[in-house]
Amino acid sequence: MNTTVDDLVLGMAGSGGDGVVSAGESLLGALSAEGYHAMMTKSFGPQIRGGESSCRVRVSTRRVLNPGGALDVAFALNWEDFFRFGAELTLSADTVLIHEEKAGPPPETLGARGIVPTQILSVPVTEITKQSAGTDKAKTSVVLGLISGWFGIPAESLKRGLRKKFLSKGEDVLAANDRALAAGIAYAEAHPLLKPRTLEKTTAPPGSKMLCDGNDMCAAGALFSGVQFFGGYPITPSTEIMQTLSKEIWKYGGVVLQAEDEIAGIGAALGASFAGRKAMTATSGPGMALKTEILGLASIAELPLVIVNVQRGGPSTGIPTKPEQADLYQAAFSAHGDVLRPILAPTCVADTFAITVEAFNVAEHYQTPVILLSDQEIAQRKETVDRIDTSKLVVEERLRPQGAELEPYLRFRKTESGISPLSQPGMAGGAYQGAGIEHNEKGEPSSSGVMHAQMNAKRFDKLAPLSKRKDLFEITGDLDAPLALVSWGSSAGVAREVLALARSRGVKAKLIVPYLVYPVAEEVYADFFASVRAGLVLELSHQGQLYRILRMYVDVPKGVRSLAQSGANPFRPAEVLEKLLEAAKGAGIR
Amino acid sequence: MSLEVPLNLKSRNLDLAQLSLCDAIDLAVLVEEEARDRYADFADQLTLHHTPEAAGFFRWMSEIEEKHRKELAERRQAKFGTQPSRVNLGMIFDIEAPEHGEARVFMTEREALDVALRSEQSAQAFFAAAKDAVRDPETRALFAELEIEEILHQRLVREEIAELPPDSPGNQEDYSDPPVQQ
Amino acid sequence: MTTTTTTGLGEAPALSPKDFNSGLKPIWCPGCGDFGVLSGLYRALSTIGRPPHEIAFISGIGCSSRIPGYTTAYGFNSVHGRALPIAQGVKLSNPDLLVIVAGGDGDGFSIGGGHVAHAVRRNTDLTYIVMDNQVYGLTKGQLSPTAPKGLKTITSPFGSLEDPINPLLYVLAYGAGFVAQSTPADMPGMTSILEEAIRYPGFAFVNIQSPCVTFGQEEQQVRAQKTHMKPLASLGHDPSDLQKALELAGHYGTELYTGVFYRNPEPPLSYDRLIRLRQDEMAKQARPRAQILDAYLQK
Repeated sequence: MNTTVDDLVLGMAGSGGDGVVSAGESLLGALSAEGYHAMMTKSFGPQIRGGESSCRVRVSTRRVLNPGGALDVAFALNWEDFFRFGAELTLSADTVLIHEEKAGPPPETLGARGIVPTQILSVPVTEITKQSAGTDKAKTSVVLGLISGWFGIPAESLKRGLRKKFLSKGEDVLAANDRALAAGIAYAEAHPLLKPRTLEKTTAPPGSKMLCDGNDMCAAGALFSGVQFFGGYPITPSTEIMQTLSKEIWKYGGVVLQAEDEIAGIGAALGASFAGRKAMTATSGPGMALKTEILGLASIAELPLVIVNVQRGGPSTGIPTKPEQADLYQAAFSAHGDVLRPILAPTCVADTFAITVEAFNVAEHYQTPVILLSDQEIAQRKETVDRIDTSKLVVEERLRPQGAELEPYLRFRKTESGISPLSQPGMAGGAYQGAGIEHNEKGEPSSSGVMHAQMNAKRFDKLAPLSKRKDLFEITGDLDAPLALVSWGSSAGVAREVLALARSRGVKAKLIVPYLVYPVAEEVYADFFASVRAGLVLELSHQGQLYRILRMYVDVPKGVRSLAQSGANPFRPAEVLEKLLEAAKGAGIR
Repeated sequence: MSLEVPLNLKSRNLDLAQLSLCDAIDLAVLVEEEARDRYADFADQLTLHHTPEAAGFFRWMSEIEEKHRKELAERRQAKFGTQPSRVNLGMIFDIEAPEHGEARVFMTEREALDVALRSEQSAQAFFAAAKDAVRDPETRALFAELEIEEILHQRLVREEIAELPPDSPGNQEDYSDPPVQQ
Repeated sequence: MTTTTTTGLGEAPALSPKDFNSGLKPIWCPGCGDFGVLSGLYRALSTIGRPPHEIAFISGIGCSSRIPGYTTAYGFNSVHGRALPIAQGVKLSNPDLLVIVAGGDGDGFSIGGGHVAHAVRRNTDLTYIVMDNQVYGLTKGQLSPTAPKGLKTITSPFGSLEDPINPLLYVLAYGAGFVAQSTPADMPGMTSILEEAIRYPGFAFVNIQSPCVTFGQEEQQVRAQKTHMKPLASLGHDPSDLQKALELAGHYGTELYTGVFYRNPEPPLSYDRLIRLRQDEMAKQARPRAQILDAYLQK
């Protein structure tokens, strides 16, 4: 009996030379071109080349919210590499586990893990490849053929994708790949599964989806906002932002400066902002640490600047290739002096675009550095994204002085909003002294306590309207529910699925996801928590940093607990659901 | 102090031989203006650094230089009207103005007067050299007149110095608070 | 030293040195060398002819880094050691601006030393003025990176055991196209060098031996400098001779040479100009804002 499924999670692992990640990309490309929703996450060993690598591809006819739980289909090219990714490639009894025949039967340890898939298929991948393609190099084309044949993934798209990838390699290579793919499909057809499973056809029109990762969307959002300067230094996992802008920004009259270090990167970006241009930098935790002095300068000089921190496992080098949400304290509190720097966080690839645009808007509007906290999972996970309607997005420009405001010009003029018109070199009548030193309205140095208090108040007051912005929060579910989920960043994707699971079981629950993480919007949370008796704050950090920051500012109901775990340990929706139901039970909610 | 002041340490982009009478008066006005502003700067610096006697003297010098400047400017106006000037402040350096390095915190009034005396000597040396360099007889006569003026100023300053009570012994630096870190 | 030249007369200068004076009273100690630098800079700028609002003047932290505030240009008195990166951001963002960078020896060659090599090799059209006094004045007289070995300061009470940095060799070694040194003891010469540095179409470095009257040594003061400074021009040095420039620069700390050590006779296009060429070349490929995301559509 053949089951049609609308959601399929595939995982593969092998050595770098096997090309499993490339195979995953081909698969993802084919699925997205067909109009499916799909998402791919990758995980690597520490080697630059030739190390073990793995990928997960989740495909669905509905929107994919997260990489999913246990695999439906697992492909092991060798066991050692496969088990190295135990956290990423989890198995269940329902998993169809396929392995290279040459790798031998599954080792004893599989049983020791407690879960043994009922269907384990041994396939002579290398043999098939040799026979069909005339070389054993095209193994992944056979793997793709097997997957296509067994799970009903359109072969034509796969073939097109492979041809696109190998276009420059000549007709011989293309033909060999075609044969390998066909051989894989043929093998699958000749060896049907015990419990066949086929992916449902998508109704979405082909060519309607974008395929991108969070770093792509961050760069695109910056370009959309009119970014004209990027200053930065390569650091995993943020570097692709600089790479993309290095290709694009010149077309728009902008500049990418690959600086000599993290400090110079943000310094140059701040200089560009001083010169009147929209400017940004991107980094990860260790780089962020180096940038903090100039962040202080940006705050006191009241200059717009977007700083992206794509979080990774920390502290220090930590785990550069895996996600964590543990730089929140750093973003909020690594300031010297009394400083409030807005922190925005995207929660998935798609919303990284709009949140980046928002980060520029907040920076320009309030004349402040804004920290965009992304994380490795969002930043580097490739997924399909529906076309984004950009016509609704507003792009803000900084307030510039004109007319009487230049006679005389007071750079830090006290205004009702606290926002002072900002001139830039080249503007006649607007010359002023930007400085890290405390200053009066004109910008002249001042060491007066009275002036310092006034300027501190100005710098805080101007940001007050920001935390009243409800549109920077996503509140979903049953609004009067006593059971709540709070989550941010990439973990929010899991929380959304958990909410759906809970409600599908008839449990009343709701979810709040802040895109504005800091300052803590006290009123928004107070409203949200009014009906709440129990719940979870879900985040990928050992300390539970969001949970604790919320408790600094908000009366979080006692029954709302922190569900926090160290980075590089992805949440599984089913496990979180269980914890949520436990919390409900503990608070007497049924 | 030697009166041999090399012209190239006092001016830039200025060929004295080419000066007309109008240029020369304009230059003299600028010399007084530079001195007026420098003395005023010194007065401000020493006020800020709590050295009031020297500051007071420099303020007084600034006023005197302004008087001279005004006199010369009036002569220029009478003789040449609105004829555009061909010289500017960027061409001259510390001719009658004391050099920037001459001011000192806690300097005594006597030390301030010494600074002024050296400046007048410098101005005299400049005008003497200029007198020799120019070709136009009227211009030369003007520089000769200015040279004598500077000699008269020196005499005035010397008389002031003579009237001053001697500085009390000891160095103020030894008794003052140490510098403050910023 | 620049000898008196024949120009100026007959051209009514559009700007006076006073147009660049903000009127804010410097907090420098009376007699500080930086007063002379400021005065020379006013004069140099008045002959350049760019109005103050088209000038961005960036500095770091230190006594000398206060200098932008005393001018009418757009100033940015930033953080310690980071003036060069900030200035590059300004210039690359708007190459039409005249960008000047200033700071002390500690700012430029200690905390910010790592940036100098990169600013030089990028060859952005900037003028970098270091007011070198071999001491930390703002924090009360600690050892600076250019201080001579053996110098006693409050952080080297028994004498420094370190050799100083040689700023001139440093920038020459990384390929700076314009390298000069001067002192307020030679006001016209210093002014001419500043003017020439500003006019140089690339990265220009001017080390000014600007004495600290409060913590400096007696032999560094203006009066002493007048007796021992040696104008390179009087030695017959040809500023296009890089080898000779390197040799002369090697005497930093023992000889006070003033003038231009090296001026690239054929300046290459500066970084900001190259960037502008690339931007112009690629402008045709710009997508309208609404189509930026189309690049990611999967077909």
